Amino acid sequence: MASSERSVAEGSKLKSAQLLDLVKAHLATDAGKDLQQKIGYTYQINIAPKKIGIDEESFVVDLKNLKVYKGKCEGKPDATFSFADDDFMAVSSGSINPQMAFVRGKMKIKGSMSAAQKFTPDIFPKPSKL
Amino acid sequence: MALRDLVMGGSGCAVPGNDGSSSSNPLGGFADSILGSASKTQERLREMPGLTGSRQQNGPQFGPTGPLTSLPGSELDSGQGSQAQVPPEFLGRFQDGDAREFVDAWNQALDRQLPPPQLPGLPRHNEVALFREFESIYGQEPGTSNVPPVFDAPPQHVLSGFLRSFVDSSRTNAPFPAVRLPELGLSHADKSRIRDRSSIMGRHIFADRGDAFADSQVNALLQSLDIEGNLRTQGPLAGQLSEFEQLWKEGYAQSTPVQQRQIGHQPLVSLPDQWANDFQSQYGPQTAPSWVDEFHNQQDGDQWAQQFQQQQGQIAARARFSHGGMGNLNAMEPTHALVQTLSQNQDPKFQNSKFLQFVSKMSRGELIVDDNQVKPGVANQLSNSWADEFQQQHTALPETWAAEFTAGEHMHRGDTWAEDFGRTRHEAVSTSDDWVDEFSKLGVRDWADEFGDQVAKGAFGDESNSSWLESYDKFVEEQVKGEQRVPQSSRFVYQFADQNPYVGHPNPLKEGQDLFRRGLLSEAVLALEAEVLKNPDNSEGWRLLGITHAENDDDRQAIASMVKARDADPSNLEVLLALGVSHTNELEQQEALRYLRGWLQHHPKYGMLVPHDVVDRLNHAEVANLFNEAAQMAPEDGDVHTVLGVLYNLSRDYDKAIASFQTALQLKPRDYSLWNKLGATQANSARSADAIYAYQEALDLKPNYVRAWSNMGIGYANQGQYEESIRYYVRALAMNPKADNAWQYLRISLSCASRPDLLDACERRDLEALQKEYPL
Repeated sequence: MASSERSVAEGSKLKSAQLLDLVKAHLATDAGKDLQQKIGYTYQINIAPKKIGIDEESFVVDLKNLKVYKGKCEGKPDATFSFADDDFMAVSSGSINPQMAFVRGKMKIKGSMSAAQKFTPDIFPKPSKL
Repeated sequence: MALRDLVMGGSGCAVPGNDGSSSSNPLGGFADSILGSASKTQERLREMPGLTGSRQQNGPQFGPTGPLTSLPGSELDSGQGSQAQVPPEFLGRFQDGDAREFVDAWNQALDRQLPPPQLPGLPRHNEVALFREFESIYGQEPGTSNVPPVFDAPPQHVLSGFLRSFVDSSRTNAPFPAVRLPELGLSHADKSRIRDRSSIMGRHIFADRGDAFADSQVNALLQSLDIEGNLRTQGPLAGQLSEFEQLWKEGYAQSTPVQQRQIGHQPLVSLPDQWANDFQSQYGPQTAPSWVDEFHNQQDGDQWAQQFQQQQGQIAARARFSHGGMGNLNAMEPTHALVQTLSQNQDPKFQNSKFLQFVSKMSRGELIVDDNQVKPGVANQLSNSWADEFQQQHTALPETWAAEFTAGEHMHRGDTWAEDFGRTRHEAVSTSDDWVDEFSKLGVRDWADEFGDQVAKGAFGDESNSSWLESYDKFVEEQVKGEQRVPQSSRFVYQFADQNPYVGHPNPLKEGQDLFRRGLLSEAVLALEAEVLKNPDNSEGWRLLGITHAENDDDRQAIASMVKARDADPSNLEVLLALGVSHTNELEQQEALRYLRGWLQHHPKYGMLVPHDVVDRLNHAEVANLFNEAAQMAPEDGDVHTVLGVLYNLSRDYDKAIASFQTALQLKPRDYSLWNKLGATQANSARSADAIYAYQEALDLKPNYVRAWSNMGIGYANQGQYEESIRYYVRALAMNPKADNAWQYLRISLSCASRPDLLDACERRDLEALQKEYPL
């Protein structure tokens, strides 16, 4: 990641924000272009520290333009998700699949279901362990 | 009570113009108007055995004959395929004086200010509504009642016991025997009321057995009570509190202690059915713009009427929903639509799916989703208080799935009636959040519609369809088995292996060290567990156990062990560094910072750099500055550079982190964990190709370094080389089958590599099959 770029995790205590920083770097690689082709949707992700809806921070993962930024979506997202921090981490690491998260009520979806359907853990790079 | 009675037509909810029988109530009337099926209902009810006279029951004091409304759901019992037209005269009722009365009565009921009593466990707005209603029913002094108390009531226990056994028979599904009961002295009004209610109730509780069965059960009941099926009411219907009423109220009374007390010291002699009328005479008609009008205005397109008609194919099931309580309306409506859509899908996979069964069960109220737990519905346990049930649902449902979909920007039907209804309601009456609110959430149907449509159209593609199905199936299975995942709070609790051959070993620590050195990490874990079981205060045992877990790619266990090691020896530098690293891996910045600062603080050489004040929240830059000072003091100390590298990882200054690790590696080139740290940093900063090289160095130094194998897999996956990544994950898992992360990543790589055929092996954790396909 170019260090000059502002980190999306700046000032955030969310683990998810740190992960989204990885996504940001990831999208700049060839893998990003694959995702652009394969998915090409824009997602807004609202993440709450503990409970969905409370103290949420919004992030946008734009796979159309390969951007990740903090805040509300510029324009209309194809789908909006709400998570608690840990649940987002679980979904992005593949320890729970998005459908299961949804069924359990750990993930809320708004917007197009077909866009939501493409939101899978393979969008996310896996954090490598030191 | 409000909800239960609104739905079930407790006499407290009678509405002027209606006859006070069980089905006449605001909600029922409303539902009927929604469904546009009132006239049809009347016809059908006439056909029902034992209900022939029901239309004629209107008491003389209740004004014009209203349509016999019925429970939402029960009117759907029959008439399949008959596309009933919405009768214009019925809709007109919402505009004529009769409807106005209803509206006014309702508004009065909500607007009237009464001191709210404290009802434990109920939200305040509900208390108010409940209390008002209750007050209006029971609040009259005995002397002011215009009807004399009932003296000829039969012994309560006989009747209630008998009625209970009737209800119970729905559980066993056994035919209900007609029994000759002692003379109960029921009045005609009582009898007709029992007849009406038991007919309707019978339809509900025996919905799965078919109408004929329900009828025979009800007939047996009626026969026992000496009630003729075609009994016609001769006296005023309302005004007598029969035993049956009493029974109906019991469930409610039990649920709210306050109200029970009320019943206890207030004689139940009022005119429950007349409360609405009383309101009316007290306050006079009002011309407030009401939600009903609004509601009617929007009705022009007959949109939902049609929709409901479409759902008639599923009706038998629908009838049950009243047993799930009001709250389940929310869940069952959408699932209902979903069932229909899904059942139209001819794919046998769909048809046989547990998902479909699950959803149809939900639509019948057999399963309810409560606080994200699927539970058996209350369909078979009528004795449960419905009011309670509603409360549960009321709190649970907004949290659960689909509720979100009510929100505005829904493209499917942005202006659904439910939303408008909800909104209008809020404008009209500021006492929000009562049951009407629940109605507004009916918009959850939307997602089901959309989801169902898309499923039907195959928008998701076959694969994703099945993944949804699997999720539901799995979810249902889990719920049925009552499986609970390990709660979050136990994450720092060390999980010992169940079976440990090293327990009883004379020197498990030495054995563990030995195994660790030989690279047999999973064996070493067992030996070291035996050691710490034997000597729980042995810091070295815990430390090595933690290191082993970290190398075995299990950070949670690593943290749990290291916390124990630190408890035993709070100043062990290796332990503090390991904790810092593990927390960094878990993206837990504050914890990581605390341990890394602790490392410096306890270091004999650099400890004096760290101020001894207690800091609540550590600032990354300050900690990094301390370490940079340390690095200037001793540029030849590889450990300081290592910690700096970890610190820069925390702040995602990857360039600096890489530089620090490279410096450290110059000082300690044979430290395999340093090579891995360098690689991980490179991979996390989108330099996975470089990372592969670093990992290879680490593996050359320590071939059984599970973490590096696993990281290698991540490195390849990040570059889109999924086939390669699978090999490395499988290799890592062969060495430590307990590395959960690697299993998850493997699954993702398998699906990305278009090897869904191996997902099953992955799910079963069948390493043999995987190794055969992906040898390394």
